[in-house]
Amino acid sequence: MSKKVKKNSAIDPEYGLDSRYTSKGEQQTEAIALMKMRLERMQNLSREQIVKAKLIQLKLAMEEYIKSPVYDDQNHFLDFLETYVDTIYSRRNKFAKDVNISSVRLSQIINKHRSPSEDFLLRLMVHSEKVYESICEFKKMMWYQVFFYEKIYDTMASQDEWRPSIEKEIKLSESLD
Amino acid sequence: MIIVESSSGHELQVEVVPIENDDFTSLNEERYFFDWASEMQNEIFKLRIVGASEILGLVSLERIPSELRVHVSLLTVSKENVGSSKKYKNIAGNLLAHVAKVAVLQDGENACFSLRPKTELVQHYVEEYNMSVTGVTLSMIVPEILELIKRFDHE
Repeated sequence: MSKKVKKNSAIDPEYGLDSRYTSKGEQQTEAIALMKMRLERMQNLSREQIVKAKLIQLKLAMEEYIKSPVYDDQNHFLDFLETYVDTIYSRRNKFAKDVNISSVRLSQIINKHRSPSEDFLLRLMVHSEKVYESICEFKKMMWYQVFFYEKIYDTMASQDEWRPSIEKEIKLSESLD
Repeated sequence: MIIVESSSGHELQVEVVPIENDDFTSLNEERYFFDWASEMQNEIFKLRIVGASEILGLVSLERIPSELRVHVSLLTVSKENVGSSKKYKNIAGNLLAHVAKVAVLQDGENACFSLRPKTELVQHYVEEYNMSVTGVTLSMIVPEILELIKRFDHE
């Protein structure tokens, strides 16, 4: 570390932090003590604390998806929905009851037999507002964003599949000249 | 995430994003205290005001998946934000909150991030961020790590 850094550290503890390990052995020795402490503390975590951690993890995962949506075989909206419901409720029909829809309808949505309607998205949005209110910031539009980003991205990424047949049916009958 | 302009008390929205290769040309030790190019093997994030390009702070981190842990390697704020005449407040806190988010995103309820400050700085991190001491290592796990995210995670 340079002399400049030492000088500044005397002024403000937040000038910076050099926390690099000098060897693998040093890291491993500290890891053992750290893990012991963590395991002791983790045993005392309440269900509420675990649920909060999982819900913040879910929110961060949704934010990551919104920042950079990916096209793959997964249905991210449904994966997030499933995690959300299963994190909070011991049984899915309890969530269905809380958002006032039938458990059959919820099951159809989660199992991809039915697309989520706008009404369902609204109920989910309001439910999430109540859940996250005391936990952390949660953008109201988050579920909408995930749902529609996925729809847009999947549609654009699968043009090879739908474009040939659609293009055959599309004509321009009026001249634009 | 918000920083506060010391002179006016105005709050400014900031973002913490991965560093880009072009950034290294401006990351000199005079202003950012460390040789950041030597950290290229780790993930490096920069903090900037939304819509601006100036880098106000940096953090590099190492993910240690076998231990369900994220370790802070280097952290700094830019020179003009050090000391009693600092331009903006809360840069370091926002950088640590970002590390907390990385850890929680990765490991949920098992999340942990760690760092090893010099002895004279330990008390500061314990008092300011409520970190736990284990030997020379400071760490943060659930529930404190969630509180740190909540404290700095403003829309």
